[in-house]
Amino acid sequence: MNHSHTKRSGLRGVWEATKNYPVILIVIGLVVIFSTLYTKLFLSPVNLTATLRQFVTLMLFSIGPSIVMLLGSMDLSFIGIWMLGSVLLWILTPVIGPPALLVFPLLGLATGFIAGVVHTKGRIPSFILTLSILITYWGLTVVLSGGYPRPVKGYGFITASVLPRVPTPFLWSIPIILAAIIVVLRTRLGIYFWAIGSNEEGTRLAGIDVDRYKTIAFMLSGTFTGIGSIILFEHLGGSAPVEFNMNNVVRPLVAIILGGTPLVGGTGGPHRTILGVFTFSILYRGLYLSSLRPEVIDLVVGLVLILSVVINSRGARMKGVDVT
Amino acid sequence: MSEPCASPTPARARKQLKATTIMPFVTVVVVVGIFQILNPSFLSYHGIVTIVYAMSYFLIAACGLTLVIMMGSFDFSVVAVMKLSALLCVLFIGKLGLLVIPLALAVSAAIGFINGVLFTKLKVPSFIATLGISVVLDGISLLSSKGFLHLLEDERFRSISVTFIAGLPSIFYWALGVWLLCTVVSVATPFGRRVFAIGGNPRAAALSSINVDRHRIIVFVLSSLLAGLAGVLYVSQQGGWSMEIGGQMMIPLFASVVAGGTSLRGGTGGPQRTLLGVIIITWIQSGLLMMGLGREIQFVILGVIAILMAVATTERGKLTRLMVK
Repeated sequence: MNHSHTKRSGLRGVWEATKNYPVILIVIGLVVIFSTLYTKLFLSPVNLTATLRQFVTLMLFSIGPSIVMLLGSMDLSFIGIWMLGSVLLWILTPVIGPPALLVFPLLGLATGFIAGVVHTKGRIPSFILTLSILITYWGLTVVLSGGYPRPVKGYGFITASVLPRVPTPFLWSIPIILAAIIVVLRTRLGIYFWAIGSNEEGTRLAGIDVDRYKTIAFMLSGTFTGIGSIILFEHLGGSAPVEFNMNNVVRPLVAIILGGTPLVGGTGGPHRTILGVFTFSILYRGLYLSSLRPEVIDLVVGLVLILSVVINSRGARMKGVDVT
Repeated sequence: MSEPCASPTPARARKQLKATTIMPFVTVVVVVGIFQILNPSFLSYHGIVTIVYAMSYFLIAACGLTLVIMMGSFDFSVVAVMKLSALLCVLFIGKLGLLVIPLALAVSAAIGFINGVLFTKLKVPSFIATLGISVVLDGISLLSSKGFLHLLEDERFRSISVTFIAGLPSIFYWALGVWLLCTVVSVATPFGRRVFAIGGNPRAAALSSINVDRHRIIVFVLSSLLAGLAGVLYVSQQGGWSMEIGGQMMIPLFASVVAGGTSLRGGTGGPQRTLLGVIIITWIQSGLLMMGLGREIQFVILGVIAILMAVATTERGKLTRLMVK
């Protein structure tokens, strides 16, 4: 756990902070570049609102996985929870009304439980397990919805405007982000997560039931994704989606890794993911304003993913962690 | 180092592995039996040609993935490489003629080399490196194809896969040849033994003076090369290219490798087993399709099968750390 902030005053302190959070420099750089390139557009209120909307989407998808990545595992099932949950909502709303929204967290909890138990007891790699779950859920989504996007009416209140220019989903996401940060930074559970991520064998030898806490991490991840999906469902159009896009899976991963949670685990967490998501949203909006084709933007996202992992894994090389 | 360094099935584990050896055979019989009962026209000549077409390119790609998985790593980029090499064939056949095939294979091998270098030298975990590369490759494919459907009408190129020899299309013999080659390389050569050794325990392999990094790069190059070959043969079989080819093929590919009995732990299995896995998975896919069920329900079934098979082929009872988390 490299949490050694040295409190200094003034500019010196800012400089020290960038050592622990190098991504801050990237953010500043990007903002400067994009605001000089597109002076009128980039700092316009419309673009800032759009950036916030982008931020919310990515953030709510990345909270859960960033908890699991803290343990050195991987949770890719989040898009699946959002898709299948939306279809279940479409089916359940006419039957039981607004309480049907609870289907999201419950589905997330169940998914996390299954993923955790199969990962720890079956001992299969979590990334391929959660990817299989994701594809299964996508198949179920299409089968249940009959292959068409299904709009669900009556949940408009979730995104009803409260403050001008600030998207309401952004306000909703603040308590969720805070809850995740508190779990990871201020509870015993969080300490165990960090310990498992930095040295699983050592944690086991210290008498901590690693398998149990891993399962709990997956359940937490699923639940956070589920709660986030309640907002995302309305935020992303209020209908059950049927199109599966691998980009939706890759972008939150890029954001998490940019934020500074390495794939081997042990450092980082949701509080860092905020910075990563912020960076990625600015980068994405900047690219979007340029005249680049959407395919080129995808290409850049892939390159950023590889680059950020390469930069992040400098530490792993020194720690002598086996990379597979 | 010319002596084999590790046996693919260590004597201690041999008894335990018997279950995973027999299981694919039983599954093949059960799957074939079920679909035969549901649809009696399945084992006709026509039905078999359909399955051979569906199976051949799939087997080639699966052999490459098997090599990577038995080495304890993972390669997500197989489908993207396949798509790109098929696209190269379609785009340049007019200018280069049959020379596009070496071009496509060379590009694929180069991508494999990049994967290998990212993984071994820059220490990026293999699954995330190949995932990133596959996003980039898909972007390139979409960009250079402009998202259109491309048709391929070169007769000589098409005859590579669709010439019938002894009642079966030639793509079947290509696939069989590649499979045999992979099996011989992984089971009967020192190189294959060393790859198994790396899968079993990379650190021990490095201490036995195996050049782990070089072997890993070679295996990633082989995997991409085979994916590229699968792409070339696929496009010559289909006679057209669209962004949809491959689709979500990663899960069926992965399912067929583990269904054959190659554990995700690395160090066990091998291409010889993947043949059975491919038969199981393509039979299920074609069977469901012939029963009139859509592509999506296949993903539900294949996803569940993938998880179950992965659990079934993993040795349990050992407290050793998972290599791939």
